[in-house]
Amino acid sequence: MNVFLRELSAYRKSTIIWCASLSAILIVFMALYPAFTSDVAATKQVLGQFPEALRTALNISLSDFFTIYGFYGYLLNFAILAGAIQAMNLGTGIISKEVAGKTADFLLSKPMTRGRVVSAKLAAAFTIIVITNVVFCGVSYLAALMVATETFAIGTLLLLASTMFLVQLVFLALGALFAVLIPKIKSVIAVSMPAVFTLYIVGTLGDVLGNDKVRYMSPFKFYDTAYIIKNVGLEGKFIALEAAIIIVAIAASYVIYIKKDVRASA
Amino acid sequence: MNIYLREMKAHRTGLIWWCIGMVGLVASGMAKYDAYQAAGVSVQEMMAGMPKAVLTVFGMTGFDLTKASGFYGVLFLYIGLMAAIHAALLGSHLVSKEERDRTSEFLYAKPVSRNHALTSKLLAGLTMLVIFNLATLLSSFYFVNLFGQGESVGADIRILMMGLFLMQLIFFTIGTAVAGVIRKPKAAPSIAMSIMFTAFLVSYLVNMSENLQFLKYLSPFKYYDAAVLMADGRLDPVYVALSVGIVALAVLGTYRFYSARDLSV
Repeated sequence: MNVFLRELSAYRKSTIIWCASLSAILIVFMALYPAFTSDVAATKQVLGQFPEALRTALNISLSDFFTIYGFYGYLLNFAILAGAIQAMNLGTGIISKEVAGKTADFLLSKPMTRGRVVSAKLAAAFTIIVITNVVFCGVSYLAALMVATETFAIGTLLLLASTMFLVQLVFLALGALFAVLIPKIKSVIAVSMPAVFTLYIVGTLGDVLGNDKVRYMSPFKFYDTAYIIKNVGLEGKFIALEAAIIIVAIAASYVIYIKKDVRASA
Repeated sequence: MNIYLREMKAHRTGLIWWCIGMVGLVASGMAKYDAYQAAGVSVQEMMAGMPKAVLTVFGMTGFDLTKASGFYGVLFLYIGLMAAIHAALLGSHLVSKEERDRTSEFLYAKPVSRNHALTSKLLAGLTMLVIFNLATLLSSFYFVNLFGQGESVGADIRILMMGLFLMQLIFFTIGTAVAGVIRKPKAAPSIAMSIMFTAFLVSYLVNMSENLQFLKYLSPFKYYDAAVLMADGRLDPVYVALSVGIVALAVLGTYRFYSARDLSV
């Protein structure tokens, strides 16, 4: 419990900054929504002339794209990208900082197993992610309320917002795995940024080409906004894939961390 | 010279990985073009009438995707993004690492001034940026030619890589300036990254709305927009001047603040 509370207070400031930045991204993009919708009628007309096949190929369903859901789903890409950085930083940092800060021998000489140390740290990281997402969902709802021109279903919006949480969990687990795999991490951000952006680029390039297989390779593409808007639900196979990734990554982190030779600070 | 060599060696592995990553990005991107071509998708003419907002959403504004060069233009956005991350991290790490690793007392007990150490570090960083750029340039030439079916793309790639280098310089010097000013060594890379990320988001905001065009001066990603560069065939002098200004200011700031502040030991 001490480790858990210690980590929460250590990350308090950074969590506040992350919540504020994510809210800022949301609000700035949402503020553009009125401008975006103003020429909807003209755009819809142009789009309507395209053959059906092309429209499906580009994954645009006319009715969705210019609704508040479609727009929110689009800006969510950027929020999730930022959120993934937060989660990966958190997962990598919370495990590796004892070695980097030369406090590993202090912590591990306490009457506490390594397994419990990892559990406490991961629980703290999970709590931080939950807090961030509660704030994120709240701000999303308020921002949508302010700019929406028609009434919208809160359920769909929150379901969209929840993909942020799911993607963050994947990156949290990946971060923890990276932290135990890489021997000496001096700078967390130098590990997390390339990893997050590589997966982001993989996913986005797949999108440009309409390549469906790429979706399995990038967590950013696990949860398709068009699917969520249409079905008000998540795709089961991707939830299963996500669960598998998380379980494997976390289990491996425990196994490796318990056995690993942790560098003493001397 | 010692500090220069020391930094080159310390960043060697990282730089090799970055170069491999860039070659991989260009290779896999262009390989996808090949698959795309082979599938016989010709959407270009249908796309011509698409509204700007929709194309922006798919990141395809102003490119002829049926041609290797147009495809490379789409890829360039991501090449630029990776280069910006690399440059900003490199700049902020080079300057802040002595404090982070508690080696500044060791370094500054040597008979070198802070300015001298800083100059060596900046030169090492510059060398690495050039290597990074060359790796991207050569792999671009190779893979675009390989998949390009005889299309001549040399001029396009050269102009894009010049833009890329200026963008690298901007983010590199922003990184060094942040690390020069900020007293907490661990915060410097994070702040440099948030500046980079904000610039990235601003470039999307500019794409989305005509009313936000004035914001384009805030984002180096917009200075070297692949679609514009390839259409004009030259760098926009306004943006080049702006880039040089930013770089000069940032370098000046790095020296001024870093040599004048208390180092945290």
